[in-house]
Amino acid sequence: MFSLQDLGISSEQAQGTAADQARLDKRSHMLKLHQRFGLIATVPLIASVATSFGAGGRSTSTADRWTHLALGSATGDLYFISAYFAIRAPRIPGTQSHGQIRVHKALVWIHGPGMILTPILGAIAFDQKSKGEKVHGIASAHGAVAIVTAAAYSAAIVSVSFKF
Amino acid sequence: MSTKFILALLLLTFPRLAVADSQRILEESTLTYHVSYPLKQTEGVSHAAKGKGVCHDGQCDFLIAVAVKSFDSGDSNRDLHMLQVVRGGQFPMITVRTHLPEGASSLSTIAADLEVQFAGQTVQYKQIAFQHVTKGGDTLITGTIPLTLADFKIDPPTLLALPVKNDVPIRVEMKWRAM
Repeated sequence: MFSLQDLGISSEQAQGTAADQARLDKRSHMLKLHQRFGLIATVPLIASVATSFGAGGRSTSTADRWTHLALGSATGDLYFISAYFAIRAPRIPGTQSHGQIRVHKALVWIHGPGMILTPILGAIAFDQKSKGEKVHGIASAHGAVAIVTAAAYSAAIVSVSFKF
Repeated sequence: MSTKFILALLLLTFPRLAVADSQRILEESTLTYHVSYPLKQTEGVSHAAKGKGVCHDGQCDFLIAVAVKSFDSGDSNRDLHMLQVVRGGQFPMITVRTHLPEGASSLSTIAADLEVQFAGQTVQYKQIAFQHVTKGGDTLITGTIPLTLADFKIDPPTLLALPVKNDVPIRVEMKWRAM
């Protein structure tokens, strides 16, 4: 009987470590949490888009507007919790991203800034409405930025759910 | 000179006259695993297997080894999750050992008993059929190992809470060359 060394495989190559496995385990665990929170966030995200249509109006204070604000806030909170787990998941040395995961990672450059900008613009718009003003200036971009952000976010989910 | 002395002299001068082991080396290989989710199928391919066969006194021992991380499913994230699920950090190699009579090389179908070491477990697969074709000096072997996750105590990964199928067949295509 002969051994792996006879095949030119060194003992270092043949032997793994508990530390390497622990790193993989931690990475998988954190990315599962990233996935879970990311999927949960789609619920208030869809609801906030749905309530956006009633969030305008002439009144300085409406229940729909407060509901839209609450749902948007919940979306943002869940989004950043999800992002935390993705950012903090351990990297595995010697590996390079390839495949559809690259699309998923690239889309963060759209929905990431969008999830920061959307609530900022929304807060300005809310303030203007509360004062009885028509939404104007940079705040008028809140809707468009939100839609682009939601679209990029949805595409990010689709990119790791289906094989293209 | 005695007959024994002449014979010894001949054997030293012409080593091939002595009974020698024959060896085979794995020249090329394609190993493909197939995973089935309820909504999609995935395959991962490795061309990195190494193997050797030594025949002595009519019996041949073969050893094939491949690194778990050499399998490429087309998505690095999926490959890393696979590596974690199969405990590839701790057990980075898959090895297959088999023992065949030298006469099996004349058969078009070989039934082999395999000892597979993977994910820290050792499992025996009996009478696995391999197709065998000889082309020039090369021997082409193809077959499928009916691996299951349960055999190796691997928890089935899930996609959106739906577990993967227990059956993960490994398609094997190998080209062996005599040394």
